[in-house]
Amino acid sequence: MSFVAVDGVTFRFAAGQSAVIEDLSFAMSRGETVGVLGASGSGKSTLLRLIAGLEMPERGSISINGRVIVDERVFVEPEKRGVGMVFQDYALFPNMTVADNIVFGLHKLKREERRLRLEEMLELVQLSGYVRRYPHELSGGQQQRVALARALAPQPSVLLMDEPFSNLDAHLKAAIRSELRQILRQAGTTCLLVSHDEADVDAICDRSLHVRAVEASDFGSAEFAR
Amino acid sequence: MKKSLLPRSARRQINGWTMASVIGAAVVLLPILYVLTGLFRPANENWDKVKQFLLTDYILGSAKLVIFTGFFATFIGVVLAWLVVGYSFPLRRFYKWALVLPLAMPPYIAAYTYSSMTGYTGVIQATLRNRFDLVLPPGTIDVMSDRGAIFVLTLCLFPYIFMLTRVFLERQSASFIENARLLGHKPLSVFFRVVLPLARPAIMAGVMLVLFEVLSDFGVANYFGVQTVSTAIFQTWFGMYDVQSAMKLAAWLMVAVLGLFMLERLLRRSRRYASPTSRSNPLKPQPLKGIAAWGATLFCTLVFLLAFFFPIAQLVVWAIETGGTVWRSDFLDLTVNTLKGAGLGTAIVLLIAILSSRAARMFDSPFMQALTRLLSAGYAVPGAIVAIGVLAVFIALDEWLAPFYGMLGKEEGALVLSLSLAMLITGYVIRFMATGYGALEAGYEKMPKAYSEASRTLGRSSLATFFRVELPLLRGSLLSGFVLTFVEVVKELPLTMLLRPFNYDTLSTRAYQYATDERVFDAALPSLFLVLIGLISVLFILKAERS
Repeated sequence: MSFVAVDGVTFRFAAGQSAVIEDLSFAMSRGETVGVLGASGSGKSTLLRLIAGLEMPERGSISINGRVIVDERVFVEPEKRGVGMVFQDYALFPNMTVADNIVFGLHKLKREERRLRLEEMLELVQLSGYVRRYPHELSGGQQQRVALARALAPQPSVLLMDEPFSNLDAHLKAAIRSELRQILRQAGTTCLLVSHDEADVDAICDRSLHVRAVEASDFGSAEFAR
Repeated sequence: MKKSLLPRSARRQINGWTMASVIGAAVVLLPILYVLTGLFRPANENWDKVKQFLLTDYILGSAKLVIFTGFFATFIGVVLAWLVVGYSFPLRRFYKWALVLPLAMPPYIAAYTYSSMTGYTGVIQATLRNRFDLVLPPGTIDVMSDRGAIFVLTLCLFPYIFMLTRVFLERQSASFIENARLLGHKPLSVFFRVVLPLARPAIMAGVMLVLFEVLSDFGVANYFGVQTVSTAIFQTWFGMYDVQSAMKLAAWLMVAVLGLFMLERLLRRSRRYASPTSRSNPLKPQPLKGIAAWGATLFCTLVFLLAFFFPIAQLVVWAIETGGTVWRSDFLDLTVNTLKGAGLGTAIVLLIAILSSRAARMFDSPFMQALTRLLSAGYAVPGAIVAIGVLAVFIALDEWLAPFYGMLGKEEGALVLSLSLAMLITGYVIRFMATGYGALEAGYEKMPKAYSEASRTLGRSSLATFFRVELPLLRGSLLSGFVLTFVEVVKELPLTMLLRPFNYDTLSTRAYQYATDERVFDAALPSLFLVLIGLISVLFILKAERS
C-alpha cells in the first residue's frame, strides 16, 4: 500500500479562475524521496501546500499512511497532519534563536527530551556551535540547514521541501545537495521536493514527477519519470 | 444551521476571528446605518423650518470650507513637497520634517489662538499700536469669518497633502523626473507635466483626508461663527433639543461623505502610475542658487511660522502667564478623564483591529475584504454623525433592556447605557478604528505568511501561532497603532462634547469651553498639553517613515 496517496486532486485559487492543478493523482512509498519538476506556474508549490493543509483542494483526496487528511468531507488542519515543510525562503522566525526555531515544533515533548532532540538535530545538520545565533546572523546555507532541522525535529511522516536551493549560490548548492541527500537517508524520511532544476532532483531524489501547467486540452497533468 | 452541514471552505471561515470581525463591523456600521435611515423618516415642524430657511446656508457654508480649504491646502502641500524633494536650499532638511509638525495642532486650538492673537488686544495689533503707533482700522484682520476658518483649516491640514506627496515623490519618481530633465524640460514643465500627474494618487489621498477633516470639523466653524452642516447638527441637537432634525441633517451630511468616499475609492483604484519596484533610487535634489534658494527658504519659513511656531509660541506665553491659576486640582481630574477615555477606546480599537486584521489575512475572501473596508470606513464619517448614530442606538438599547433594568430595581424608563461612558467609548471606537486597523494591517503585510504557515506545519494551532509567532512580531505595529489612535482620541472634540456623560470633562472639552467663554488665556495650558500629546504622534509617523 502506498504511504502517500494523492487521488484526483483539483485546485483553483478562486471560483471562476482556471485550475492550477487538475485531476492529479500519484503515490509515494515510505522512505522514498520524490522530486517534483515543472515550469513556473505549473502548480508545483501548490501541490506541497495542498498536502501540508495550507490550501484546500476543490476535488479529490489525499491520504498519508492510510489516514485520509482531506477529501470531500474531511479537512485535517495543518498542525494535525504530521507533515514537515521547508519553505522556499526558509521562514525562520526572525525573533527566535536557532535553538528556539528548532524546538518550536517540539512543544509536546518534555524538557529533557526536547534538549536531546535539539542536540541530535544540530548534530545532523552540523550547526552545534550556532544555537544562540539569530537567523540574520547566519549564511544562506546555514539558514537552510536550520530550516531543515526545524522541519525534521518533530519527526514528520512526510517532509515537503519547496525549492530549498533557490536562495543559494551555485557552489554552495552543490555541497548542500549531497549533504541533504545524506541527511534524508539518515533520517529515513519520506520526502517530496519541489525544484525547477533537474540537477537538484537527479542528485537527491529516487524518482521524479513532472507537472505541467494545465491547459484546456491537457488534462491529467502529471507523469512520472525515472 | 449546523456547522457540519456547511461546505468545507465555509466551515473553515466560521471561527472566533471572523465572528469578531463581523461584530466589530456591526458596531461600526449600525450607528452609521441608523443615521442614514433618517433620510426616510417623517419630518417634524422644526425640520420644515430648517429646510426652508437654513439648510441652504449650512450646505453653502460647508461647501465653501471644503472647496477653498481643499484648494489652498493642496496648493501649499504640493508646492512645498516638490520644493523639499526636488531642490536643495538652506534649511531644506529641517523643513522636510518640520512642515509635518502642524498636524499636532488641533484646528480648534489654532482657531482660538489666532482669533485672540489678531484681535484688538492681541499681540499683533497691540505691537503695531504700542511700538509703531499704527492703529489698524477695525476689520482689517478679521479671522472670525469664513475666511479665517479657511485660513486656520488650511494651515492645520495641509501637512496631510505635504507628507503623502513628499513621501511618494521621494520614493517613486526619481527615474521619471531625471529622464524629463535629461530630455530638456525646464523646471516648470517638469512640475506640471511629470510631477503633478505622477503624484496624483498621493495628492488625491491627502486631499481626501483634508476634505473629510473639514467636513468633520466642528470646533473651528463654531468658534468663528461659520454655519456648516456639522455645527447645525450640534445646534439642532443642543439648541433646539430636536434630535430628529439633527439626525436628518446628519443623514444628508452622510450622503455627501459617502459621495466623497466613493470618489476616493474610485481614484485609488485607478492609481497605476507608481513605479512597480520599491527599489527605485531616491531623487537627487537640484541645488537652487541666489534669490531662488532664499525664496524657497522664505516660503517654507513663512508657512512653518504661521502654521506652527506662532500659535505655539503664543500658547506658551499665555500658559506661563496663567499657569498658576489654571493648575488647579481639577486639572488632574481632566487629565485622568482624558487618559481613561482614550486608553479604553484605544484598547478596544486595537482588540477589534487585531482580530479582524488576522481574520482578513487568514481568509482572503471578497467577504472579508468588504468587511475590513467597512470596519475602517469610520475615519471618513464626521464626529457629529457618529455621535448621533451612537446616541440613537444606545437609547434603543436602553429601551430594549428596560425589563432587565426593572429586575435590577431601576425605575421605569431609566437610561443606563446612554448616560454612561460606554457611549462615548463606542463613538471613539467607530471614529478611530481605521487608525488602529491600518497599523495592524501594515504590520501583517510586512510579516511573510510563511511564518504562520511554518508554525502550523510544526504542530501549533492557529491560536498558538498567533500568540507565539505573530504577536511578538506585531509588537511594533501594536505600539504605533496604540500611539496614533490614543493621540487622535485625546485631541477629539465634537464626539466628546456630544456623547460625554454628565459632568465629564476632558482636556479638549475644557480647553474649548474656556475658549468659548472668552477665557482664552486659561485655555492655553490644556491646549499646550494637547499639542504636546499630538507631537508624540507626529514624531512617531516621522520615525516610521524613516525606517
